[in-house]
Amino acid sequence: MREFNYLNPASITETLEFLHTYGEKAKVLAGGTDLLIELRKDEGPAGLEVVLNIAHFSELQYIKADDEWIRIGSGTTHAQLATSELLLENIRALAHAARTVGSPQIRNRGTVGGNILNASPAADTVPVLVALDAVLTFKSLTGEREVPITDIYVKPYKTNVRPDELLTEVAFKRLSPTATSAFIKLGRRNALAISRMNVAVILDTDANGNISELRIAAGSTTPKPGRTRTAEAVLIGQQPTEELINEAAKKVSEEMIAITGYRWSTEYKEPVIEALVRRAICKALEVRP
Amino acid sequence: MKKTMLNLTVNDKKYTVEVNPNQRLVDFLRDELNLTGTKEGCGVGECGACTVIMNGRIVNSCLVLAAQAEGAVITTIEGVKGSEGELHPIQQAFIEKGAVQCGYCTPGMVLSTKALLDKNPAPNVEEIKEGISGNLCRCTGYQQIIEAVQEAAKRLK
Amino acid sequence: MYKYIRQAVPKVDVAEKVTGAAKYAGDLKFDNMLYAKTVYSEHPHAVIKKIDISAALAIKGVVAVFTEADVPGTNELFGGFHVLTGDKVRFIGDAVALVLAKDVATAEKARKAVKVEYEPLPAVFTIEDAMAPEAPQIHAFAPGNIVDNSRYHLIKGDMEAGFKAADRIFEREYETQFVEHAYIEPEAMVAVPGFFDKSITVYGSLQSPFAVRGSVADALSWNLSQVRVIQTVIGGTFGGKDEIAMVLATRVAVAAVLTGHPVKLVLTREESILESSKRHPYRIRFKVGVKEDGTITAMESEVVAKGGGYNNKAQFTNWRASIHATGPYRVPNIRTEVYGVYTNTVYGGAMRGFSSPQTIFAVESLMDELADELKLDPVEIRMRNVLGPGDETPSSQALGPGKIPAPLPQMIEELIRETDFLNKRAEYAKVNAGSIKRGIGLAVSFRGAGLGGEGLDATGAIVSVQADGSVTILGGLTENGQGMKTTHCQIVAEVLGISIDRIIYPNIDTMTVPDGGPTVASRGTLVGGKAMALAAGEVRDRMLQVAAEMLKCMPTELEIRDEKIFSTVNPELAVQYTDVVKKAKDIGIMLASLSWFSPGLSNLDHKTGQGDAFPTYVWGAVVAEVEVDTETGKVAVTKVTSSHDVGTLINPKGAKGQIYGGIVMGQGMGVLEEIEEEDGLLETNNLDEYLIPTAMDIPEMDIVIVETDDTFGPFGAKSLGEPATEIPAAAIANAVAHATGRRIRHLPLNLERVLLGHKLTRKGAKP
Repeated sequence: MREFNYLNPASITETLEFLHTYGEKAKVLAGGTDLLIELRKDEGPAGLEVVLNIAHFSELQYIKADDEWIRIGSGTTHAQLATSELLLENIRALAHAARTVGSPQIRNRGTVGGNILNASPAADTVPVLVALDAVLTFKSLTGEREVPITDIYVKPYKTNVRPDELLTEVAFKRLSPTATSAFIKLGRRNALAISRMNVAVILDTDANGNISELRIAAGSTTPKPGRTRTAEAVLIGQQPTEELINEAAKKVSEEMIAITGYRWSTEYKEPVIEALVRRAICKALEVRP
Repeated sequence: MKKTMLNLTVNDKKYTVEVNPNQRLVDFLRDELNLTGTKEGCGVGECGACTVIMNGRIVNSCLVLAAQAEGAVITTIEGVKGSEGELHPIQQAFIEKGAVQCGYCTPGMVLSTKALLDKNPAPNVEEIKEGISGNLCRCTGYQQIIEAVQEAAKRLK
Repeated sequence: MYKYIRQAVPKVDVAEKVTGAAKYAGDLKFDNMLYAKTVYSEHPHAVIKKIDISAALAIKGVVAVFTEADVPGTNELFGGFHVLTGDKVRFIGDAVALVLAKDVATAEKARKAVKVEYEPLPAVFTIEDAMAPEAPQIHAFAPGNIVDNSRYHLIKGDMEAGFKAADRIFEREYETQFVEHAYIEPEAMVAVPGFFDKSITVYGSLQSPFAVRGSVADALSWNLSQVRVIQTVIGGTFGGKDEIAMVLATRVAVAAVLTGHPVKLVLTREESILESSKRHPYRIRFKVGVKEDGTITAMESEVVAKGGGYNNKAQFTNWRASIHATGPYRVPNIRTEVYGVYTNTVYGGAMRGFSSPQTIFAVESLMDELADELKLDPVEIRMRNVLGPGDETPSSQALGPGKIPAPLPQMIEELIRETDFLNKRAEYAKVNAGSIKRGIGLAVSFRGAGLGGEGLDATGAIVSVQADGSVTILGGLTENGQGMKTTHCQIVAEVLGISIDRIIYPNIDTMTVPDGGPTVASRGTLVGGKAMALAAGEVRDRMLQVAAEMLKCMPTELEIRDEKIFSTVNPELAVQYTDVVKKAKDIGIMLASLSWFSPGLSNLDHKTGQGDAFPTYVWGAVVAEVEVDTETGKVAVTKVTSSHDVGTLINPKGAKGQIYGGIVMGQGMGVLEEIEEEDGLLETNNLDEYLIPTAMDIPEMDIVIVETDDTFGPFGAKSLGEPATEIPAAAIANAVAHATGRRIRHLPLNLERVLLGHKLTRKGAKP
């Protein structure tokens, strides 16, 4: 175990003060399901001096909605996401994705903020949040800023979040009442599984059954998460035929290869991500009201 | 490293102690309180042998710093007891159904079962499987553990 | 009618386990105890030039740092393993130094401060590399990197004639992976110097206490009698806590003797995976001749075990493989060759099944492939060739009534009926239009029980009745969670006619019982149980003599049941067990016995593998059903039906536990588990990368128990722990091939292999 001092701030403001003081020498600790694993390794976080606990802030644990936005506190656990009535009604895929994380023990501790900031390409809630065009709120002593989730990622396990900033909220606009969502995860086993790949889809259709909105985000395909707009464009304004769904799925794999090049794992990932995208689109279509 | 103060309740007993900032809850329970029924199997939250109930929910005590348990109410296997000195019905069911082989996963399994049944007194098989999915067992193939959870649910009715 | 045998008696040692009171080695604490951490190699193959311990010693709280030079006795142990490696490292789990400190954190810090200078050597990582001409040599005593003492043959009949008689000849190659035992308790060991004399006590998570004792005595240059080894409660072993336990015990014992302190060493999971043995990967090549009707005429096989940096088991696993490599089939002409090779990788050792999971995967895959080629179904090809009464085993042991039971043909027929195998097979083939394809597969096996020709099999037991009627029993084998203590208690209670609650069965202690050998080869019930039955029988005979004196009758007319000793001639004539015990004490009769059981040396010609390889055999058959996602390669094992011949079923609940556990362990080998390496370095370091099945992965499981009249074991019981484990992976592989129409000849059947037919690594595709 690495050595460090432990700070247990009394308030968010005090947390921000500590972050301001310690900067890169501090690590924020919430659920600990990723950080404690890193702290156990010799090669863990460089220059670490203090661990800053925020797990006790109930003010960071909420899921609430107004007419336009759904807002989730960064300290909300996966277990809370998975069982949230609000999410299950409005954006099922997010609750579903949270439920596939790790195990009950992990879900009871691990937080959505941690899942976002750990920046693992295999994070399960991230593709859904990307598909939701989620906006992150960061606070610091110098103020508050809102950033689209996709803007913070630099490469796997690396973000551009400033060391004095604290993620406090992730928010996204409510979907239209007719919109549906789907999350598909491929893991090697059915619990305690890291996603080999995953896909989130949000989809809406108009009165004619044409797809009016489509957002597709895949995980573990590219170094940084993002929507595949070329794939979305294939289906938007169209009737969802098998042929077009296949074409959209193909676009996802094409974009993956365009970004990563043909790597050692592409032989597997290329056909499989297409299948997962197809399935996610079909699942989102199936659950339409 | 500066020691940090910790107040918590473990198995209905209150403690106020100083702990190292980098001490994990599992080490605190085992080394300081001598509650060695909590086991460590992987140190990365994968095997669930170190499962304890913290504020009503199961957690991997290898992924919680002791200091983070400030104000927490914790139940370890040593705190799982039946009435009048008897074994807890979950423990009885584990014995009766042959759910124990080497026993190393058992404390964690019993605690996961307890947390599950506290919330959901009549789980179906799928819910039981999910409830113990964070506890790896290499001996039993889980079957008799699942049967024990069903039996315990019956007894606790 | 038995009172305890055949009854689902709850385990005798589990109350402590459900309350958390049971002490495992890592739970033990002693005053002034030091904590040890090992400095491991940084290279898979390198000469050690220099070890600088000065910086480590300078750290506050560090008590000592030991290297090879400090080992007082023999540093090189069994199989070339070392207490601490001094000359050169042969794999990355080699231990080059041991640090001792007042706490674990300080020991960790000091370990990093030990500076070791290496000169890296060219290395070999695969069977092919190891056997290449000019390959780097790992051990001076092993030219060509061949583990020479592990080479075995089974030679029978006339190969030329056999192949001539065939209509068709097929050649196939299969390969298996390194499989980790993944016991949930990582290894832990504590050594405590003697309080009263020059002695050392080692408490540990171990399964072969006498082998541990021998190693410790060697390392210290002490007598065996000065070394006491006590098994703590053990958190799983499955054959794994053997070499590693011996090596770790020598490390803590040497440190304890040199420092005069108790020393504790607990491995992290990463260290456990790094340093402990694995199930050997096998590469198995067959050339087989068959007639059009499926009759096998000849089988040639070459079985090569990937041994790793050191070897202590291939000579045993390979011998077993040589007897079983052609499966439970009538093959008139056989030429089998088995050997192991050294590689600069983690090493192979004993793991539940002991070469059979590998050979069964190969031979049962082969049988299905032959069936496909000959347009037969999997049942037909097996029934055409399967061993039954009147046949002879590959080593030419006679099967049949009055001889070794051979129930496999009936077992297969029943299992096929029970699982609706043939209908499902036809039906799945029809409905498999979508991306999720269903499949059903069969695999069968036979297994020699006990050590057989592997080595002399013998073990002892002590049954000692105390003055208050309680009974202490001590055995030469270990409880590993499999329920051996419960089985032994059942046997003793049955023989003595007393309540099982009277029996106390302490953990094995090398000071109290004679060397009973290792707890391997499913010997717990078969050999250990027999010794218990013999010891209890002797005590029973003495009790009857005492009772006969009390009742003034003949001992031969007496029986004990429910703690009452009574005359079968005149049931009025009776006396209580406790009164007999008191009387015996009064008149100076010892109600204790040490018994010894050995089936004797097997009569086997090791040049040809012909003769009495094993005293008896157990038989098994498994049907697995799967759903294969052909778009992702994911295999869901949906149902496994497992049928086993157990002789006499001693404990139905315990037996089921062994079978369920075996099925899921087999499932892991079949579809999930693999220790992956790249250039001798581990890619799979913890249980987040080495994936064993969770509760959400298990199939529906059905068990069929078959009892046969086998006279060898206690009450006719045989063994089950390994048979239950060795077949499922093969059945799953056959089910996957049935579902997809594509045969994969390498385990595990993970996502990539099932989808693409090969594995993916950073260095490209591998089979």
